[in-house]
Parts: sequence; C-alpha cells; structure tokens
Amino acid sequence: MLEETLTDQEAYFLERVDRGDRIEADDWMPEDYRQQLVRLIAMHAVSEIMGALPEKEWVPRAPTLYRKLAITAKVQDEVGHGQLLIRVAEDLMRPWGKNREDIMDDLFTGRLKYHNVFHMATPTWADAGVIGWLVDGAAVITQGMSLSCSYAPYARALQRIVEEEGFHIQHGESICMALAEGTPMQRAMLQDALNRWWPALLMFFGPPEKNQLSTHQLRNIRYRIRSKTNEELRQRFFSKYVHRIWSLGLTIPDPTLYQDPVTKEWTYAQPDWEEFRQIVNNRGPRSEARLGLRSTTYQEGEWVRRTIALSPTAG
Amino acid sequence: MDERLDFDVYEVFAQSDSLSPHVHVFNVLASSPDMAMALAEENFFRRAEFVSLWVVRRDQIHQIGFHDREGFQKTPKAYRTTDDYKYLRDKWRYYRDHPMNPDGSPAAGGTVDGTMDD
Amino acid sequence: MERWTIEDVAQNPERRQLAAELLWQLADDDLLMGFRDQEWLGLAPHIEEDVAFGSIGQEEIGHAALYFGILERLGFGTADDLASLRSVSERRNSVLIEQPNGPGHYLESPRYEWAWTIVRHYLHDVWEMALLTALTGSVFEPLGDAAEKILREKRYHLAHQELWMRTMAGHDADSRVRLEDAWRRAQDWAGDLADLGPYSSALESAGLCPGVDSVVRHYHERVAEMARVLGLPEMRMQTRENGRRGEHTEALQQALDTLSEVYRLDPTANW
Ligand SMILES: [Fe+2]
Ligand SMILES: [Fe+2]
Repeated sequence: MLEETLTDQEAYFLERVDRGDRIEADDWMPEDYRQQLVRLIAMHAVSEIMGALPEKEWVPRAPTLYRKLAITAKVQDEVGHGQLLIRVAEDLMRPWGKNREDIMDDLFTGRLKYHNVFHMATPTWADAGVIGWLVDGAAVITQGMSLSCSYAPYARALQRIVEEEGFHIQHGESICMALAEGTPMQRAMLQDALNRWWPALLMFFGPPEKNQLSTHQLRNIRYRIRSKTNEELRQRFFSKYVHRIWSLGLTIPDPTLYQDPVTKEWTYAQPDWEEFRQIVNNRGPRSEARLGLRSTTYQEGEWVRRTIALSPTAG
Repeated sequence: MDERLDFDVYEVFAQSDSLSPHVHVFNVLASSPDMAMALAEENFFRRAEFVSLWVVRRDQIHQIGFHDREGFQKTPKAYRTTDDYKYLRDKWRYYRDHPMNPDGSPAAGGTVDGTMDD
Repeated sequence: MERWTIEDVAQNPERRQLAAELLWQLADDDLLMGFRDQEWLGLAPHIEEDVAFGSIGQEEIGHAALYFGILERLGFGTADDLASLRSVSERRNSVLIEQPNGPGHYLESPRYEWAWTIVRHYLHDVWEMALLTALTGSVFEPLGDAAEKILREKRYHLAHQELWMRTMAGHDADSRVRLEDAWRRAQDWAGDLADLGPYSSALESAGLCPGVDSVVRHYHERVAEMARVLGLPEMRMQTRENGRRGEHTEALQQALDTLSEVYRLDPTANW
C-alpha cells in the first residue's frame, strides 16, 4: 500500500492507526493489513501450540508432585495461548473462507513457520527450567511490545497471555534456582542446559537489522503492529537476564559478552544465522519429530473434531 | 391476576475500553435486541462509558448447572499462581550481593556488576 | 460420632495400617489417572478440549498429593518418596487405570484413543464419586475432609466424561462404533476398580469406609443406567490381575519408570 495512491478509505484507516485507535475484527481494514496480521498471529499461534511440546516432554517426568502440578499448569497455559491466538487468527481469515484447519495444515506442510526455540531438544529436566525462565523471559519481551498493537483482538489476547507469562517465568526461575542451589549433579545439569540454549535464545529475536528493516517490518511498524526492532528487543533481554545468570555462578558460553558502561549497549558473539534459517525451515534438531508427533495426533483426532463440528466437512 | 404481559429477558455485556473484555452488566426486559440495546444504554450507562455493548437473549445463554454453587469451588491451586514463588525476590537480591562461584559455593565478597531489572 | 485425628491413627498400629490400605488405593488410582491424562497434554483432538482435559489430569495429581500428604503425616515417608519410589508390587491402583491411552509412547507417534480415554476415565470418576461420597462419613477426620473437597471437582470431571460419551454415542455410526469398542474393552479390565481389596470388611467395621456394599452397588447402578441411556451393552466387568492386591501389568512398570525418572536421579536432592 503506497501512501501516495491511497483511497479515502485507506487514508482514513491510517489516520485511525496514527491517532492510536484500536481496530476491531469487523472494522474495515486494508487487505494488506489483514495479511500482515494473519501472517504474524498465525505464526504466533502455532508457536504456542508447538511450544507446548518441548516442556510437555517433561510433564509426566517432573520430579515432585508439586513440580508435576506446576508444569502441567504452565504447559496447559501455553496450549491456552494457542487457543486464544488461533481464535483471533480465524476471525481474520473468515473473509477468505479459511479457518484453523488451514492454519494447522500450513504448519504441517511447512508453509507456516514456528519459533526457532521450539525446534530444539530438551534432554534434561533443566531444559524445562531454562525454557520457563529464559525462553518465556524472551517471549514476554517481544509480547510486551505487541501489547500496543493496533489490532485490538490481538492486544486483548496478549494482555491475558502476558499476565500468565509472569507465572511461567517464576515457575522457571524456581526450577533453576533449586538446581543452582542443589547438588553438583544438579548444577552441572543447569549449566549444560544454559550452554545448549544460549545461541537459540539470541536467535529468538531474529537477525540484527543493522539499519536495514525488511519490508514486512516496515509495514508492521507503519500499521503499529510492532514498534521495536529485533536488536532493541535482544538488548533488553541482555539487560534483564545476564546479571541474574551470573549471580547464580553460571557461565554464559560467550566470553566476548560485554556491556559498555557508558552506552549500556551489549556486544556479543553472533549466533550462526545460517543455522537459524535452517532451524526455522523445519531442519532443526527436533523439527521433524515434533511436527510428526503433532500431525499424527491431529489426524488421529479428526473423527473427534467431527463429532463436535456443526456439520461434517466435505473432503 | 390471570393475564400478564410477557417479556424476554436480555442479558447485557459491555466493554469499558478496547483493551478490556466484555463484562456482564445486568439485564433488561425487552421485546427485541434493538429495544434491549436502547434500554440498556439508558439504564446502565447514564454516567459510565462504554465502547461496545452486547445483548443476548437469556435463553440463548447456557450455563454449567450443578444445582448449587459448590460445583464451582476448587481445591487450592497455589501451583497455578506466583504465590509460592514470593521467596524468589529475596533470593535474587541475596545472590546479587553474594554471587555464587562456578562450583555453587558462596563467593568471598564482591557483587555482580550492574543492576538487575525486576 | 467418634472422629479420629492424625494422632489417633498414627499412634494406633492397627488403625494406621488399615487407613493406609485405603489411602494407597485412592492415591495410586489418582496418581496413575493423572499420569495417563498428562500424556495427552498438548496432543488432544481439539485445542479447547486440550486445555479442559489438562485441568482434569492436573486435578487428579492434586488429589493424589492430598492422599499422599495424609500418608506422610501418618509417618509412612515423604509424599514424593511414596509417589515415586514404591515398587510395582506395593502399588494398589486398579489395573484399569494403569493401561496406556493407546498404542505408542507419548514422545513418539502415540496412537492414543479418545473413546477409550473417556470411557476409562468415566469409570474411574463414577467409582471415585461413589466411594468419596461414603468417605465423607469416615471416622478418620482428615480423610473425610479430603473427600469433601475432592468431591466438588469430581462432579465436574464426571459431567465432562458423560458429555463426551453422549456426544460420541449420538453423532454418527463411526463415533458410536468407537465408543462401543472402548466400552467392551473396558469391561476386560474394570473388575478390580470397584473392589476395596482384602481389607474391605475390616475397613467397613472400623468405620473408615462406611457402607462398602452400597458404594459398590451405587457404582454398578450408575454405570448400568448410563449403558441403558446410551443403548450400550451391559458391562460385564472382568478381573484379571487385581491391582488392589498388588498384581499389575507391564504397563505400570513403564509408567512408574517415566514418572519417577528425574526424582530417582537423587531422591534426597531438593528439586
Ligand atoms: Fe505462551
Ligand atoms: Fe509461557
């Protein structure tokens, strides 16, 4: 949508966005805005749905009754986030005659990507702790930015989500703190998990822009769908978590990590961005296994969904 | 009284700003959705503001029925909230001032540089 | 009415042993039921249902924690040790509850069966409802109190499973066949569920579980009524291994290995 050739309707829409109005599902919106939203929200939705799986691996194995209860609550919330977001996306896709079946289909065929972190392996209980503490910590930084999104149903869903993330992070902190204060075996387990997750955490925010924003990013900023760059969000993550990680006597696997005392800017070793592209294109360590798990069970459940649908769908 | 006029009951839901959920407000007797909306505005929003208003005919609302309210009571669920994690705040503060060594033992002195956001 | 406190029971070896016989059954049933439910988390057929069913499984574990908590106060060891470290032959859950949700492991291509999951859970809920209703009148006060609390959630669980059974029974031929198939398979395992084991009459005469016969009768009546309403065959429950006597299937060992995997790395550590 070029600003010079706007129709009256489009100009009015941008005016609303500029003055901070929130757009509702049944308001008129440019097709381009709808597409950007669906792209973002469907990706967020499937990231929550697939994001439940790495920790879910530890749900039946959680060590104590208390941890079993807490991690069930946590993973259940993530599925619930998937529900909120897929409903928001479905309402946006309605004019196209599409619904959540299409979203799941796009996920399984690889047309729709999900966050890099959820392609990674979780070989120990400490991974479940690190995900809660640092992956959710990273997620809340990006989601916090999106609370100001111009699309009201998304902002409302995020408000509920971010509230729950507060519990998720403390749940993760509590697991990690117990391991840090625990036996040498427990500490080693935690340090190991941190080593494993560090590059994935940096990748989570996406490649640094170096003053070159992509067309998607520019549009999303124009539409007030997002307001910060990848690098700004990553810097915020460092400021929030690096000192805490150090205070537990843990080593961050990046000897070059350094904060400039004056500018407060962090310098750090870049993760392998080619690897990042491989991972998000479903060639990560656990991509195939988790997509397989989700699609098998989804197919197995088809007859159950039919029993509660309005009318049996054709084909 | 043998004969009485009959009305439908409409339940009213309103949203106070675009970030809030629609919240149940009260109900009105009306003959149609349009009338219900008109009545609701005047009955419940003479002072308070709203950005959206819904009315739903009561017989279209389905609710969980256990015949009594006990069915909604739950066993305590501290594990769903941050209530049990209040101790973390003190611990983070403690480790900021007394950071652990790599082997988990307390450091002799000194603090981790910088501040930690809460 | 006479009411026993924790101390009254802890200090009387006969009462203590008898109360434990009942508590093992309650705790182990709920722990294993919750474990099986948890295997579904993130994988249920409908996303809204995934969240709903997640709560049910979690509440089962919560109930198990309450029962293990009473055993801990009676001096049998910590609740976590009791949940994680007891051997298969020490477990008193029904073998129905330990059966898997379907073929496959929860991490790799599980082919879980929704109809079976619902029918098995339904039977568990009916039994627990009947039993807990009687236990609200138990002479052992902490057990009566726990029963009262847990009953509130059980009503919701039971309503949930009944709704799904009606939905499957009424939708089409395919869903009905699946329900009937699950119903028939459940009767092969369900025999030890409504059985209080070798101490049944001692539990009754001590007042720990009042009216054992009528509990069992209520259970069978409710199941028969459901069969009648949905047009399902009468359920003829068979007993193979009897879990109430410590007899179990291979499935239990696998479940216990998984649920205690992390804890067993160091049971003395703080997790
Ligand atoms: Fe989430
Ligand atoms: Fe989360």
